[in-house]
Amino acid sequence: MKNSFRIFSLLIGLVLFLSWTVSSQPRETSIDKIKKRGYLLWGSDAEGGAPYVFPSPEDPSRLIGFEVDLAEAVAKELGVKARQSQNAWDSLIPALKRGDFDIVLNGVEITPQRNEEVLFSVPYYIYTEQLVVRKEETAIRDINDLKGKKAGTLSGAVAQDILEGLGGVDVRIYSGQVEPYEDLAFGRLDAVLLDLPIAAYYAKPNPKLKYAGPPAGEGFYGIAIRKEDTGLKKTVDEILGKLLRSGELKKIHEKWGLWNETQEKLFLTVEESAGPVIIEESKKAPLHTFFPMLLKGAGITIFISVVSMALAVTLGLVLTIARLYGRPPFSSTATAYIEIYRGTPLLIQLYILYYGLPNIGISLSPVAAAFLGLGMNYAAYEAEIYRAGIMSVPKGQMEAASSLGMTQPQALRRIILPQALRIATPGITNDFIALFKDSSLVSVIAMVELTKTYSILAATTLRFFELGLIVAFLYFAMSYPLSLLARRLENKLKGPGR
Amino acid sequence: MIQVRNLHKYYGEQQLFKGIDLDVQKGEVVVLIGPSGSGKSTFLRCINGLEYFQEGEIHVDGIELHSIERVKPGRKDLEAIRSIRLKVGMVFQQFNLFPHMTVLGNIIEAPVKVLGLGKNPAVENALALLKRINLEGKVNCYPGELSGGEQQRVAIARALAMKPEAMLFDEPTSSLDPETVGEVLSVIKGLVDEGMTTLIATHEMGFAREAADRVVVFDKGDIVETGPPEEIFTSPKVERTKTFLGRILKI
Ligand SMILES: Nc1ncnc2c1ncn2[C@@H]1O[C@H](COP(=O)(O)OP(=O)(O)O)[C@@H](O)[C@H]1O
Ligand SMILES: [Mg+2]
Repeated sequence: MKNSFRIFSLLIGLVLFLSWTVSSQPRETSIDKIKKRGYLLWGSDAEGGAPYVFPSPEDPSRLIGFEVDLAEAVAKELGVKARQSQNAWDSLIPALKRGDFDIVLNGVEITPQRNEEVLFSVPYYIYTEQLVVRKEETAIRDINDLKGKKAGTLSGAVAQDILEGLGGVDVRIYSGQVEPYEDLAFGRLDAVLLDLPIAAYYAKPNPKLKYAGPPAGEGFYGIAIRKEDTGLKKTVDEILGKLLRSGELKKIHEKWGLWNETQEKLFLTVEESAGPVIIEESKKAPLHTFFPMLLKGAGITIFISVVSMALAVTLGLVLTIARLYGRPPFSSTATAYIEIYRGTPLLIQLYILYYGLPNIGISLSPVAAAFLGLGMNYAAYEAEIYRAGIMSVPKGQMEAASSLGMTQPQALRRIILPQALRIATPGITNDFIALFKDSSLVSVIAMVELTKTYSILAATTLRFFELGLIVAFLYFAMSYPLSLLARRLENKLKGPGR
Repeated sequence: MIQVRNLHKYYGEQQLFKGIDLDVQKGEVVVLIGPSGSGKSTFLRCINGLEYFQEGEIHVDGIELHSIERVKPGRKDLEAIRSIRLKVGMVFQQFNLFPHMTVLGNIIEAPVKVLGLGKNPAVENALALLKRINLEGKVNCYPGELSGGEQQRVAIARALAMKPEAMLFDEPTSSLDPETVGEVLSVIKGLVDEGMTTLIATHEMGFAREAADRVVVFDKGDIVETGPPEEIFTSPKVERTKTFLGRILKI
């Protein structure tokens, strides 16, 4: 009884903690709310990279980019500070809708579909699509030559619609903007179609690549705002108009080398300005400057893993007991839970928890969704490990306990479980190691843990190798002690004494 | 003290008991013999509620246990089974000591958790029992550190710690090395001499001859013969008893 009470109060505590994390995130977005809070929360993906939003190569803990400058300018007009909120680019709009931040400012093209979902400010940039091919390519001169070819682009970008609209093109979708150009250079792709600012930063400097034809298809980047925040949209429009008239917006674009004739349509004043920011090789940050961010990511990884595992081992035990000893509705529910959670990808479970549940009014914070997602998934596996442990306790143990007059719960708690847990411990430790690595999946729900930190840093600095080794080492340093522990526990089990 | 009436037992479609009866008086020592698979274990396990039966009834000291048709017994059946278990101790062929507990832990577990006995009197009682089976030195050992004979003696002490009114032994010496059989039988003999009501399934004919008030012969789920040991061993009436004894005494 005492134990089940402890488990029960643990679960209650968990629920309270969850509701706390749920309610502690910003929800209503009015200008008053932003002003009271003192900062404008703007969503973007630093992994998207230059020139939009990316970690400064000189000081990776600081974000730079033309949208960082723009966000700061907008915030300044509002009389507040700007605070960036990291979120995967694919899911910026759903995250905005569920209230994770006030606005999205991250190269989001204004499209009819998106207009159904959110409000858009007046445009702050006119983008064009640039086709890029390998230097030696002669067959592809514009997008009409792409039939039967492999063309890469960014998931959810307008270029994706253009490519798919052509028909007969083998469209490859990427989630980062570095990878398509890398694959193009390696010969895995024949062409890449992406917004010009991206091409200008990632393709133009690459000697293996070249532009194919002039930019095509104009479109607008706008600031996305939740449908109900009409007041905020009006204010943002006014601010953008003001920045436009004062020439400040243009200055930002020129600073980042994004100025071109097309923008004339947006801006009325044209003035001379300094050239674009160019990252010099010699100004590369020394490796140690990355450590604070990587260590912070590692800390988050550890935190998520430990809390998730605690949930998994507790819930797993409840599931096993219900499955093996519960009466019909409980036992079949537990069995169904285990089968469903083991039979569906963790990634899908995370998406449903984080982006799906808000549709029925449950909005979890990223932390809560991360450890609920991991914990509930792993609970299914832990339940099976416990079950194997319980099954391997000889039948005579339960019989002996029963014949002494112990009730089934007493026998379970005092006789069966202690033996089963001992058998299950190495398996559980191994699962903990697996969970450590699986925790990288939560980056899809806006948690910037170790892997996400790595991909953000690597995408902009292109130092995949050095940073990759460091990150791999960090993971190893975290999981190896667990492996040692697992092995020691296994040996202890094998040994004669106890 | 124990009455078994018209006991029917099926394992799935297979019928083992086709209505058998047995009465055991208080203080009586009944030895069950018979070939392997004849139903001795199942019979003892039915009395202890470890097996359900489909027809008939079992009375233990006024507690009635009726046939359980369902796979899972109801609340009333469970109550009856538990009351019977508190009166009747059981010792298994495989000892079934709790390997994660010390000898002392094994013995005091049920008195403390089931009877609600205080820890101190439970330990005192356990130490007295250990003295009686000559294992005071092993109080803090784990079962894995004991010989088979020692483990079985601890299992007997564990059952006795519940102060039962009757004891069931299911081939208590069959998994032991020959040289440790004696020490276990002498502990049981001691109990019997004190007047403990005892039902024991065994192949130890010497023990049966010496200790039994009555021998019951099982064959193919049937009680084929019952009588005092001298009668059964010297002049068995039934052919099946003769065959069985002939086979076992030759060895
Ligand atoms: N769990 C079971 N399922 C099916 N048949 C069983 C089971 N337990 C025992 N039996 C059968 O019941 C018969 C009697 O077994 P048992 O009581 O163990 O005999 P004994 O103890 O005299 O050797 C045997 O034929 C055996 O195969
Ligand atoms: Mg048997």
